[in-house]
Amino acid sequence: MEFEFKPEETKILGEVRAFIKAEATPDMLEESLSIGYCYGGKLGREFIKKFAANGWLVPSWPAQYGGLGASAVLTFAIRDEMAYHGVPSIFVAAHMAGPTIMHVGSDEMKKEWLLPIARGEVEFALGYTEPQAGSDLSNVTLRAVDKGDHFLLNGQKTFNTHSHVADYHWLACRTDPDVKKHRGMSMMIVDLKSPGITIRPMITLAGWQTNEVYYDDVVVPKKNLVGEMNKGFYYLMAALDFERMFPAGGYRRIFEQVVDHVKKTVVNGQPLSKNPLVRQKLAQIAIELEAGKMLYYSLAHILDSGQIPNYQASMQKAFATETAQRLTQTCMEVLGLHGQLKSGSKWVPLAGRVEHQHRWSVVESIYAGTNEIQRNIMALRGLGLPAA
Amino acid sequence: MDFNLNEEQLMIKDAARKFLAKECPSQFVRAMAEDEKGYTDQIWQGMAELGWMSLLIPEEYGGFGGNFLDLMTLIAEMGYAALPGPFFSSVVLGGLTVMEAGSEVQKKEILPGLATGERMLSLAWTETDGSYAPEAVRLTADREGEEYVLSGTKLFVPDAHVADILITVARTGGKPTDISLLLVEAKSPGLAIAPLVTMGGDKQFEVSFDRVKVPRTNLLGSNNGGWPVLQKILLMAAVAKSAEMMGGTERIMELVLPWTKERVQFGRPIGSFQAIQHHCADMVIYKDTLTYMVYQASWRMTAGLPFEKEASMCKAWVSDAYRKFVALGHQVLGGLGFMEEHDLGLYFKRAKAAELFFGDPDFHRELVARQMGL
Repeated sequence: MEFEFKPEETKILGEVRAFIKAEATPDMLEESLSIGYCYGGKLGREFIKKFAANGWLVPSWPAQYGGLGASAVLTFAIRDEMAYHGVPSIFVAAHMAGPTIMHVGSDEMKKEWLLPIARGEVEFALGYTEPQAGSDLSNVTLRAVDKGDHFLLNGQKTFNTHSHVADYHWLACRTDPDVKKHRGMSMMIVDLKSPGITIRPMITLAGWQTNEVYYDDVVVPKKNLVGEMNKGFYYLMAALDFERMFPAGGYRRIFEQVVDHVKKTVVNGQPLSKNPLVRQKLAQIAIELEAGKMLYYSLAHILDSGQIPNYQASMQKAFATETAQRLTQTCMEVLGLHGQLKSGSKWVPLAGRVEHQHRWSVVESIYAGTNEIQRNIMALRGLGLPAA
Repeated sequence: MDFNLNEEQLMIKDAARKFLAKECPSQFVRAMAEDEKGYTDQIWQGMAELGWMSLLIPEEYGGFGGNFLDLMTLIAEMGYAALPGPFFSSVVLGGLTVMEAGSEVQKKEILPGLATGERMLSLAWTETDGSYAPEAVRLTADREGEEYVLSGTKLFVPDAHVADILITVARTGGKPTDISLLLVEAKSPGLAIAPLVTMGGDKQFEVSFDRVKVPRTNLLGSNNGGWPVLQKILLMAAVAKSAEMMGGTERIMELVLPWTKERVQFGRPIGSFQAIQHHCADMVIYKDTLTYMVYQASWRMTAGLPFEKEASMCKAWVSDAYRKFVALGHQVLGGLGFMEEHDLGLYFKRAKAAELFFGDPDFHRELVARQMGL
């Protein structure tokens, strides 16, 4: 048993921290916040390319693909550090598509994509959800027809969060409509600048943009098929187990700011931090963050032991996101009437971060597989309960 | 990072699981809850032969020289089997306190007997306030010549009926933390015990001290120096109690999961209903988080690192999570688990007692708040 980082991990984390402090400009952080910490903004790309030159974007990848061959623990720790500091920390190419390409992609595909991904030169957008394929992802209908030397794609995606800032679509599509649903899906990489693609913004409660993406006779080269035809659903499911992590760093930062705020804020003649209820609530959140940290790094430890997580990735997602919501709720309670004030308002505390987080936190238990779906996975896969 | 038990700990776990499966089935647990003494000499002897009482005691005092994580592994198995008896009071509360505060002479005098299971200790701390705060210690120990004279009442003293020595927490000065620890022979004149009837059937006592005379040399640690010792012992006991709860989660999963597959309603096993699946998933979340919280705090104690914050976080989280975990188990088992003859009830009762002992979640959250600088 060991609950501390190894000395070499601590050393690299120190370097990562120092790099972020030195290189993350207020403008870049502002841009990062404005697009929900997704990778793809202009300033964010400049920052991440420099960052990635150290191998820090994909530390656990082998050196030949631009990584450091480092532990999953270090990878997870760096992600958490990035989230904590508000730099771009949601990567589809580096953290979701890349590992799948590494596991199932052809040599040609690995050669074409992995190094540019590791260097931060390209970013993908997840192209999974459709109007009739949310939690039931096997219901994807965007159709890809094999035209001999290319695929021809028609259909619609929705809630595709990254697609207005990314370069490529990491697309789940229907390649065989005549078999059982999950046996007729394929994964493809599609250039988002392809003729026939239309991206329409959908604005969320958090003010951030997600998108509808329409495909109208879009031509996709054959070489952009990921792995084998009609195996897409299985790749997609397997990808949920690899390098899937929900760092709490961003929320922890806000929490620390609120803890600091209550020490300085006098209410009813005493610092808010001396109110026993406030103390209880904040301590409870600190405890939940600690429990969440355990799940986060235990997931990394499973990967470092050479095992594939079973239910643990789903558990970490559910716990981290629900902790985030409770944390936000507690922060709002502690701020009281001031909590509702938006950034720019005269009396706003903490630059409106908590108010914004309150709106954003709604989606935590919904995106990336609702927490109900995560619990289904835990029960069916982790505990072997009977399927309905 | 490494979240796993090591080889030695896995061996401890395996051996304990086997021994207790044989010696401590749930019928035994039930019988001992009714029994006045609460355990048998036979099982105590068996535990001693396996070296359980000596596990944590250093080799120079006749022990095995294991570490806190080893002990946690063992205690978790006791939690799994809901083992009754004075192990916790004697070895954890008594042994740790002597190891922490005792002089060389006292350790040599007490620990070897503790290691063989022949001598038993307990800790008499809480009083009628039912509080672990220093102000709540009102039992006085007044110096009269070469003796301390103790007067007052202790409550919730575990296993006082079999303890040879009660480590008694006494007020020796006017400041709240002017507290001393005294080794009191349980058979001392003026000392009387009366059993408390507890929900879990574990043996707790009211112990009254009517001018009980104790030689000065029985002072454990320094005069007025008891409080820092108690603060540390409280946290270690809190984590040990948490380990006991952790063990309980393993057993309860075994009680609950088969039922979800066997029990058929509306023509399907109830485990195929998402409502049940989500309850079970939440049980896993509680189980895994509380396990790692116990591991982390125990590991820090073993590694000699500061553990105050992690120990309090552990006790607060584990107490709450275990209670909720048991409640979900009840919900899945339905009326069956509400029956006195179902084993889940044994764990349900212990869960509440464990939550209250050595600081409840509110108490430990307040300690965490202090650690956070609030």
